[in-house]
Amino acid sequence: MPDTVLWYTTRGAGAVSLALLSAVVVLGVMSSLRFEVPSWPRFLTTGLHRNLSLTAVVFLALHIVTAVVDPFTHLGWLAAVVPFSSYYRTFWLGLGVIAFELLIAITVTSLVRGLIGLSAWRAIHWLSYASWPIAVLHGFGTGTDTLSTWMLAIDGVCIAAVAGSVAARLMFRSPDPLAADRARFRERVSRKVVK
Amino acid sequence: MQGAKVEIMENKNTTAKRIQARNAATRMLNRLTAGLAFGAVAGVGILGAVSAYTIPGTAATTSGATASTSTSTSTSTGLQSSSSSVGSSSSSGVAVSGGS
Repeated sequence: MPDTVLWYTTRGAGAVSLALLSAVVVLGVMSSLRFEVPSWPRFLTTGLHRNLSLTAVVFLALHIVTAVVDPFTHLGWLAAVVPFSSYYRTFWLGLGVIAFELLIAITVTSLVRGLIGLSAWRAIHWLSYASWPIAVLHGFGTGTDTLSTWMLAIDGVCIAAVAGSVAARLMFRSPDPLAADRARFRERVSRKVVK
Repeated sequence: MQGAKVEIMENKNTTAKRIQARNAATRMLNRLTAGLAFGAVAGVGILGAVSAYTIPGTAATTSGATASTSTSTSTSTGLQSSSSSVGSSSSSGVAVSGGS
């Protein structure tokens, strides 16, 4: 296989991974906002969020493997696992490694959520708000196509989508559908304690 | 009693509608996931081709060498032309000194 094909695949997979990760973040925010319309039930958002995050991991793996096996860069596997250990663009590649490892932590803890408990899972899941901007910075810092028009367009759409969804998350608090039931339950419990 | 029967039928209808809606949404989830996965594969190919078109590079180690060679050639050409112009100005300088 020509080396340039590996290089092009690395660049293509990197751009696709960024788009997928952005979609995953947007779907996650929509899920936390309990977004639903009659034609789009809530479990569709959570199901798509889960499926797309696994797809994003696969394409990130493609991005990393093609970069590592490319003989032009000869990065080596250590640089893909240990942050800031690469001789080549140490800082920017290190950011990419950190973003990937955060994503792996988020994905694995989501798969074993039943074992670790909801509060631990939620605490780790908040790392996704760090993983995504670190991945974007990695792309800006080390991407070959960063200044290309098409890549700037992809970056712009991804950043606008995530920023918009996070702004919506901050502005509109997610409604608690069980709020009334919880209040009634607390009231009954307090009455029993008084008796 | 009749009212109770009607209520049970309504519940059954509602449950059936919910089941249908859930099945439809599950089918939509599967279609969307498959479509996005295929789209992502196609995206890698398309964006790889676009990146190859915009910044093609060449074979592994020759790309950088080719670029630097062409740069150095153009630089040396510029130096040659500037040295000839310096030569002509020095001869005119001689003429001026002779006048004074």
